[in-house]
Amino acid sequence: MKNNLKQSFSKDFIKYKNKLKRNKILIVFCQISLLLILIGLWELFAYLQIIDTFIFSSPSKIVATTIDLFKNGNLTYHIGVTLNEAIIGFLIATIGGSLIAILLWWNETIRKILDPYIVVLNSLPKIALGPMIIVWVGTGIGSIIVMDILIMIVITIISMLNSFVNCDENKIMLLKSMGAKKYQILFKLILPNSLLDFISVLKINVGLTWVGTIMGEYLVSRAGLGYLIVYGGQVFKLDLVMASTIILCILAALMYFIVALIEKILYKTRGIS
Amino acid sequence: MKVLEFKNVNLTYFSSLGETPAIKNLSFSVEDGEFISIVGPSGCGKTTILSLISGLIKPTSGTVLINNTEVDTSHTGYMFQKDHLFEWRNILKNVCLGLEIQKRSNANTKEYANNLLKKYGLWDFRNKYPHELSGGMRQRVALIRTLAMNPKILLLDEPFSALDYQTRLNVCDDVHQIIKSEKKTAILVTHDISEAISMSDKIIVLSKRPATVKSVYSLDLKDYGAPLQRRESPDFSKIFDKIWKELQEDEK
Repeated sequence: MKNNLKQSFSKDFIKYKNKLKRNKILIVFCQISLLLILIGLWELFAYLQIIDTFIFSSPSKIVATTIDLFKNGNLTYHIGVTLNEAIIGFLIATIGGSLIAILLWWNETIRKILDPYIVVLNSLPKIALGPMIIVWVGTGIGSIIVMDILIMIVITIISMLNSFVNCDENKIMLLKSMGAKKYQILFKLILPNSLLDFISVLKINVGLTWVGTIMGEYLVSRAGLGYLIVYGGQVFKLDLVMASTIILCILAALMYFIVALIEKILYKTRGIS
Repeated sequence: MKVLEFKNVNLTYFSSLGETPAIKNLSFSVEDGEFISIVGPSGCGKTTILSLISGLIKPTSGTVLINNTEVDTSHTGYMFQKDHLFEWRNILKNVCLGLEIQKRSNANTKEYANNLLKKYGLWDFRNKYPHELSGGMRQRVALIRTLAMNPKILLLDEPFSALDYQTRLNVCDDVHQIIKSEKKTAILVTHDISEAISMSDKIIVLSKRPATVKSVYSLDLKDYGAPLQRRESPDFSKIFDKIWKELQEDEK
């Protein structure tokens, strides 16, 4: 049947498809042009000394700084440190938060007892805990990861628990009428049913983990991109600040694309495209 | 032979607001292979009766027996208003869900499920996902999922109410034919009197809450054929009239 459809494409349909395609190309073209124009204008204004490069830096200076950092060998080290913290925090918060959510789903009494604590923890600005974390955990990488986890874990628990609890009551009834035990309801229904919500939690956390890591590095660090940004700010090396920020942007985008790729694969296993 | 028996069953629901008697002194029995419908005013506890038969809730007093033993979830298959197919499982895996839960998934039971799919025209769709099927087909998959567990009694809780009218009449015929050819005992709960008359051998009319048996109608419309044809028989409108009037009395 699919072949038949392909053969019977009408002229108008092809026209319509071409129009869609042209529209898409136009959008991508404009997106890239916009970026190039902004960079070009920035460079031009810096060159004509309309803006002060000491304060605003310039694209060429940022590129030069980045190359210089790479050559001196410590940029890869700084990237490695930050990436390491971000990934460890992301994994612990996402997996740990989901496990806690499962526990709270399993036991309604615990859920009710902990409910006000979770609400308060969620509205608390985690950065306020910074000094405490430094005193308790120390001034190493540990503090940064703890800060990172704190940023993500509460929202992970709330989102996943919400997804578990909102599972269709009738679907649970269906399994119970088949004689299902609680663990079977969890594994056959609750968890697969929440997969799409889990993906959106992944997407939120993949952004938040950079917030947490950089915030942690602002508080306490001897290396990492956050450290470079703070250091650059203190010594007024705006080239360094901007170069680090751009690298951070690229890393965050890459990590997001990996999650988006995982999402695509998971959708495919369910026959959804 | 009696497969199901309600003996003086009472059920009271408790909530923080107080207690509500839902079922009062309910007694009836169902013969093997019968198709029974339960009708009654809305909110009279029809679904509660199915929950009692399936063993999901226990009566406050009295007994519910299946083949002279107390009920548990292994005797019955429950079909709901919606098909409740799991979107992440393909059709074959949806059909085998009950077997997995009951840990009875082996070569024999799988063969039985496969045969049901073949017999009722869903074999070619076994690798499809629920969202690729029409509403009527999904409900047929839900029925086969129930039948695959080989239950003694099928419980149907308004299984057609989520379908549009055209599909509903067809699926009615479809489900009736499948249940009859598999020789299953079935208990249908519905608020649609014509659906009840067209499908069943016997209709139990309940009073308003707390529910008790008001009257029982034995029907003999088999000669007219499938449910859709039964709707055109002269007896049909007579029985419809009687039941309708009886339910009207309760509404007042």
